[in-house]
Amino acid sequence: MNENRERLMRCFQAVFPNLSEEEISHASPASIAEWDSVATVTLVGVIEEEFGNSVDLEEIENFVSFDLILDYLANSGKSVS
Amino acid sequence: MKLIDALRIANQPRGDAKPMAFAMACGFTPLHLKTFLHAELQQLLPHRSVQISTGLYGDIPGTLASLDIDGEHSGAVVIIEWPDIDPRLGTRQLGGWGPGALPGLAERAAEWLALAASSIKRVSQFMPVAVCTPTLPLPPLFFTPGWQTGRYESALRELLARFSSDLTDLPRLRLISQQRLDLASPGGARMSIKSDWTSGFPYENAHASALANLLAKLLVDAAPKKGLITDLDDTLWQGIVGDAGVEAICWDLDNHAQAHGFYQQFLRTLADEGTLIGVASKNDPAIVEKAFERTDLLLPRDRIFPFEVSWGAKSAAVGRILSKWNIAADSVVFLDDNEIELAEVAEAHPGIECILFPSDAAKVYELCQDLRDKFGRQSVSEEDALRMQSLRTASSLQEEASGDGFSESLLEGARAELTLKFHNDPGDSRSFELVNKTNQFNLNGRRYTEAEWTRMLAGEERFALTVGYTDRFGALGKISVLAGRVLDHQVEIDTWVLSCRAFARRIEYQCLRTLFRFFDMDTVVLHYAQTQRNGPTGSFLTSLLDAAPAPDGSIRISRSDFESKCPNLFHKVNVQDEARKSPAAAGAHGSHE
Repeated sequence: MNENRERLMRCFQAVFPNLSEEEISHASPASIAEWDSVATVTLVGVIEEEFGNSVDLEEIENFVSFDLILDYLANSGKSVS
Repeated sequence: MKLIDALRIANQPRGDAKPMAFAMACGFTPLHLKTFLHAELQQLLPHRSVQISTGLYGDIPGTLASLDIDGEHSGAVVIIEWPDIDPRLGTRQLGGWGPGALPGLAERAAEWLALAASSIKRVSQFMPVAVCTPTLPLPPLFFTPGWQTGRYESALRELLARFSSDLTDLPRLRLISQQRLDLASPGGARMSIKSDWTSGFPYENAHASALANLLAKLLVDAAPKKGLITDLDDTLWQGIVGDAGVEAICWDLDNHAQAHGFYQQFLRTLADEGTLIGVASKNDPAIVEKAFERTDLLLPRDRIFPFEVSWGAKSAAVGRILSKWNIAADSVVFLDDNEIELAEVAEAHPGIECILFPSDAAKVYELCQDLRDKFGRQSVSEEDALRMQSLRTASSLQEEASGDGFSESLLEGARAELTLKFHNDPGDSRSFELVNKTNQFNLNGRRYTEAEWTRMLAGEERFALTVGYTDRFGALGKISVLAGRVLDHQVEIDTWVLSCRAFARRIEYQCLRTLFRFFDMDTVVLHYAQTQRNGPTGSFLTSLLDAAPAPDGSIRISRSDFESKCPNLFHKVNVQDEARKSPAAAGAHGSHE
């Protein structure tokens, strides 16, 4: 689980280079100005590359926080156990 | 490149690096392609801060029309996909297909391509433009099965081929190689229909990365290598000529030696394009001489200069070749079938690119593809054809010359003629090439992008002066370029290069004399800066100043001082005023001895 967290953190840091790990942990589209639709699509692209699988279309609208995405990866079997 | 790596490169702070802006025109959401392009350009331009602007969704001609061509853009990329040409050729708009719609596709495509061509032509007058025609498959809208090309699809592809062919005539237009893209990004793995439908970005990341890589290379020209030094035995031909004899060496299909013939043919092509080809071989010179008497050689001896054939060290032979060519090691590729020889040369000549000639014939084809990339150029000029002959002449002259250069009598009897042309033509590719590749006689080492060069010459008071040279030993072609501006009381020169092939002929003095006389000015200001390689420029200035110039700063030279220090000049001079800058008689052609 910790490894997933680190890998996801690297994804977030690539997309939001100005945010600290702490800020990323609590980030959401509502609280972070740069988290717009383009950032979401970019984040999905990076996550798909990092975790080697395609994110389901209907899940993308739920990608609104670090923890929710981490949960999605854990539950979808696309994470490292 | 992976997207996460591209983001890291693109987002890395660049401190005080000077910005360099590029425009990107595509009909889809630019998303990751923009990121990959940013990263690729940034890697090619490590000392600049790359910026990319994008335009209107679904409107490439509109994006190009609104591009600020007087602004700071250094280049533009245009990525065309089928839905740009006609939205019905995409999958995001559901306007209906059916047999009835097919006849109208070509007409609509012709209209759009004409509009796009017109927009692209306009922008390419001011900056380099990299264009990519559709990379994604057509959707299943035709009634023929997918493995068959019908008349309507053929008509579209014919229009596109004509569009591409017309664009390649434009001087600053670079069309992406679909063949190279096919190798880098297999056709069946390019499209992401999911991404297209969710975000309007139609590419898989791997395809976007490959495409961006090629587009960046199109926009940022790597300086081509200037010279290639080749070994002979088991390289230019199969066999050891000293052991097997002249008749036994081979390079043909019958003797299973086609790879060597292919290599010879490729080197001859490079030579005809202006690349210098030299030979460094451990051999008996008399035997090699006999080998080059064979008339079936595809690379004849007149395409090679110099031959360095001896039993001495390869590094010494390469050193003599570099000296005769008068170019730096980092502009040269050395090929040999012996790894120890390569290592010895690499150690003695830092910067030289040493490549092992493969023993596997199939690898020779790949080698030639790689060499094509290293020696590829935008065009072949008159000067390229003259280069090897002029070096041969220079080498003969050097043998006649005294230690300090050519003798007074040699210069006087050379029947040298200089053609000095004042102009404002940024499309003169030879001038642009000289400015960006000349190191030794270079006033300050400043390099320009095509857009910067175009903008610089557009200034009202600006001019460029190109210098062509010929003498009784042969023509050197265009060998010097000056650029500057004319102010009320002085001429300022901020760019001045002179090809090393033309050294020791006092051409630099004649250039300055022409500036004084043509503009009828008493002062010329040279914006000099010392670089690691422009020692010959410093020596010339020292001869005028009686002291070494300051490493960085403006140097004022008065007409009277110049004339008192100028040596005898024997050139016949022809001055042409295409820029109409002459204060005395605009448009006049003049000459002086």
